Amino acid sequence: MAKFSLKDSDEYYLSLSEQPKRFDADSPVTNVFFDDTNGQVFTVRSGGVTGVTVNGMDDSKCTSFRMEDKGPIISIKFSPDHKILAIQRNIEGQNATVEFVNFKDLAPTNIEYTHTCKWKNAKILGFVWPRASEIAFITDHGIELLQVLPDKKQLKTLKSTSFSGAWFSWCAQSNIILLAGNNGALLQPFSLNSSTITKLQKLEVEWSRPVMERDVFVLRLCGAAWCALFRHAAAAPTVSGPTEVWLMPISGGGSVQHVLKTGLTGRFAVSVVDHLLVIHHQSSQTSQIFDIMEEAKPENNVVMHLPLVQGVSMRPASVDDQPCPMYSGNWVVFQPDYVIDARLGCLWRVQLLPAGLAHSVLKDDVPRVVAALLRRRAGRDTIYRVLNQLVAHAGTYLVELTKCFDEINSVYRRWADAEVARNTAGAGAAHGRAHFPVLLAQADVCAHVLAPRADEPHLVAALTAYLASLARHALPAQPDAAALAVRALLTRGAGARLRALVRRGCLGDARPLACQLLSLGHLDPAAAQLALDMMWRLKAHGDVVEVLLSWDEPLGAAGAARAGGAWGGVAARKLLAAARAHSPGAFLAAYHALLARNERARGSPHFLNTEQCDIYIDYYRQLTSES
Amino acid sequence: MIDIKNKVNSFFIFNSTFGPKEGDELKRILFYHPSQVTQDARKIQVGLCEAVVKFMTTFSTEPCEALQTQSKRYIFYQPEKDYWMVLVVRIPYATKAATTSNEKKEVIEPSVMQDFLMSAYKMFRMFIGPMKDIPTEDIYNNCEQFFTPYIMSRSIANDINNVIQGISYLPLEKNSFFRVVCFIDLLEINYPDFKCVSFVYNDKLIWNGLTTDDMLTLYQYLVQTLLPKQVEKEIQGGAVTAAQRHGRFISPPEGIRNADDLQKLHKVYLMREEDTETKQYYLVIYRTLSATVCFTVDVTTNLSIDTFRSLDAFIGPQLSTIASSISEQCALHALQSTQLSNTDHSFIYFNRLNLAYKTSAPSSSLTPSTAIKPEVLSIIAGIHSDRKSLGNYGEIIIKTPDEYWVTGKSSNDREFYVIIQEKNANLKDIADEVRRICEDQMKGIFFYPM
Repeated sequence: MAKFSLKDSDEYYLSLSEQPKRFDADSPVTNVFFDDTNGQVFTVRSGGVTGVTVNGMDDSKCTSFRMEDKGPIISIKFSPDHKILAIQRNIEGQNATVEFVNFKDLAPTNIEYTHTCKWKNAKILGFVWPRASEIAFITDHGIELLQVLPDKKQLKTLKSTSFSGAWFSWCAQSNIILLAGNNGALLQPFSLNSSTITKLQKLEVEWSRPVMERDVFVLRLCGAAWCALFRHAAAAPTVSGPTEVWLMPISGGGSVQHVLKTGLTGRFAVSVVDHLLVIHHQSSQTSQIFDIMEEAKPENNVVMHLPLVQGVSMRPASVDDQPCPMYSGNWVVFQPDYVIDARLGCLWRVQLLPAGLAHSVLKDDVPRVVAALLRRRAGRDTIYRVLNQLVAHAGTYLVELTKCFDEINSVYRRWADAEVARNTAGAGAAHGRAHFPVLLAQADVCAHVLAPRADEPHLVAALTAYLASLARHALPAQPDAAALAVRALLTRGAGARLRALVRRGCLGDARPLACQLLSLGHLDPAAAQLALDMMWRLKAHGDVVEVLLSWDEPLGAAGAARAGGAWGGVAARKLLAAARAHSPGAFLAAYHALLARNERARGSPHFLNTEQCDIYIDYYRQLTSES
Repeated sequence: MIDIKNKVNSFFIFNSTFGPKEGDELKRILFYHPSQVTQDARKIQVGLCEAVVKFMTTFSTEPCEALQTQSKRYIFYQPEKDYWMVLVVRIPYATKAATTSNEKKEVIEPSVMQDFLMSAYKMFRMFIGPMKDIPTEDIYNNCEQFFTPYIMSRSIANDINNVIQGISYLPLEKNSFFRVVCFIDLLEINYPDFKCVSFVYNDKLIWNGLTTDDMLTLYQYLVQTLLPKQVEKEIQGGAVTAAQRHGRFISPPEGIRNADDLQKLHKVYLMREEDTETKQYYLVIYRTLSATVCFTVDVTTNLSIDTFRSLDAFIGPQLSTIASSISEQCALHALQSTQLSNTDHSFIYFNRLNLAYKTSAPSSSLTPSTAIKPEVLSIIAGIHSDRKSLGNYGEIIIKTPDEYWVTGKSSNDREFYVIIQEKNANLKDIADEVRRICEDQMKGIFFYPM
């Protein structure tokens, strides 16, 4: 099978961010914690006595401070507004207590307080900050949502829910907690939005074995919350072969489940980059990407997905000018796209390199990749590059090019429909463009793809394919596209095709197009004929009159003026001049018609002096006296 | 109807330069029909024509066009210098003046005869080439082989299709049209040697890649000669219909199955739209369901049977899906137009620039349009052939004695005729009615208003 490869593209489609955030590596005296809500790494040296450093991608939120060592730390996290630091310690008999320290300008104040959750003998599995002043304790007895009142040094319970859970998974982007009850056999999501705890529909997992904590991820993808479950062959005897990832909707994702076929076995990690689900596989050192937005028909509410393109590894990164080990055992991957190497002391984010997606694609898959790129924020330039290359090699890729145009135009169609719906429904829906990260209008395609490729041998075919695709999506060809079409078709000697397209209404009536056709009239009378039809349809009656006068058709011009309602505005002198040049008969007819016009307009058949028709009045007398 | 074929008295081609000496007169006659005419009779006929043509040059620089005697009408056509084609028809005349009026015999319109000669020549030129390029020793044979079947297969009649020779285009919604064009593009890109020059559905043209004049000739060949035979075959051969789904090459008629069949491909002289001169091509014709596609291949190309097989595999499935989608549209369109056409007046539309032709009367040659009366037809033929009378802008309304109103309209290289049978109408009613029909039927087309 032939493969398409985008010119000057790298084979990698994922990379780690250029400059990793550095922190002190994990060591016997240093402990490293990661807060995935704020995306911050806490390095605690000697229990905090010799300093705590907070590092994150946002430099303005990085800080360091000292604190007392009150015991081994289990978890340490800032509130989202960085005004409160919460610490959970592993102290015998204090399982259900969390310490709080108020912060001011990222520096600790001496205001410290603690809170114990309502179930005295419960064990806190962890805590999360759903909002700036709200904290949720997740315990093996249930969830307690509390409001922190830092000035009063106390916490107020907002809501609590009992649930016996063994472990939990948290998605900071959707504020959803997934608690595993019954030792992993029951997965129960809770939403912590709007200062309350909402129990969501539990997930039905009909597997024979309980689900392991490391196989469950709650993540936010395409505006919905999902639970990603790794289904290993070993975990369920009914499943054989490689590992599958089941994406189960938790909230906002409809009822369709997605199954991602990895084709691999072993240890996996998950990232979400630009609405793509990335599955890192350690032993093969590859990362596969899946796009659950790709079009597919659900069967029994399940959609199967294959990797968008063949899995390759992330682009090798370097740290301190040394190549750094990729997919190392020291890596920890956090949602949505953080990668930490605790031994090296590096924090990266995973980035998408859109051009890499088109580096090596099966010929048939090119439209699929373009469709995927249309859903990526940074996809635009790569799409232009792909299209340019397809147009340049239209001899091989015409079918694929056509399908790519269809993908582009169907996105545009959906956007246009959404805009219309939005405008008619009023300013209700605020998420206008958000759903359409890349929107290629006709002007864009013309300016970036078709116009620069004006010298390609198969431009006419490519252009026709584009116009056909527009027509299929009921998008009328705009002046840009039409003008380009006219130019391209004419320079290639495809005038008949141009006329056929105009005749079949494929280019849409427009004044610029009509003028362009008209200017071709001296080479191609049929084009002028069509131009005149088009002008008449556009009700450009004045133009039609002018054209007919210039064609030595004075009576046709007068007739057109009368039929089109432009009769009153026709300059008598001009019409008479044209009629005189044509024939005496035509002159007499035009003269009489104008007299009648004068009569109607002014009550007298005579011409006004300002109309400067004296020579024609004389000519009329001369003609009539002869006969 | 009267047996038309009887009325063609003879058809012959001569070139006086071929046998200038006395006694060589037979050499001058390149072709003579009917063949049973004796050599002496031929010599006399041709001699008369030679004399007339020669004689007329004294009066005009324009070549002589016609000669009418009491019993015969001669139409001359000089397609190339010194080559003359002559068509002779008998004129019904009565020795007694008292013939009954309802047995009025019709005479072939001169313009129809002229067009017949021109079409015949163009067809000859398309398949054999210009006459002057043919070696003298071959030309007798070539003419014999070409014109005998041509004359036999063609009837010359005062039919509206003969009065105005045009191309019937299929009205097609733009998406279907784009499918056709994109299919052609894809095919030409995959098979660069093959250029698609026409796409015909039933007897209507969708795509044209030739100059308009050559298109008309090819179209007439397809619609009048090749396709009727094919359709007949398809109707007869029940078992063949299954194979038709896949489509096949229909020229040569047995199809293309092996390398030998490639030798039987017709060579034609055509001018493609992007060409600047007429060139010789192989003509390849493929048909599926009701769709017929013609390709030209440069004669210098090495043909290989593998290319044709792969082309067959490529076109077959795609063309049949396109054809069936077009047929759905046609059915829909037919339904709509039957609902629309509440008018019982006939009209004819003709565009001189693309030769588009549209009529309310059934245009298929199988059902001759009996709707149009001979007198009316003769009037239309008159208006059509005498372009000067209406010019580029004009309208004429003629009333026949038997209550027919014939309106001819010319504007912007288009012609539009309406025939209305209305006893108690005045000129204004007719003019209004014509305007209404024109607006109804010719939407989006601009006729200079009166």
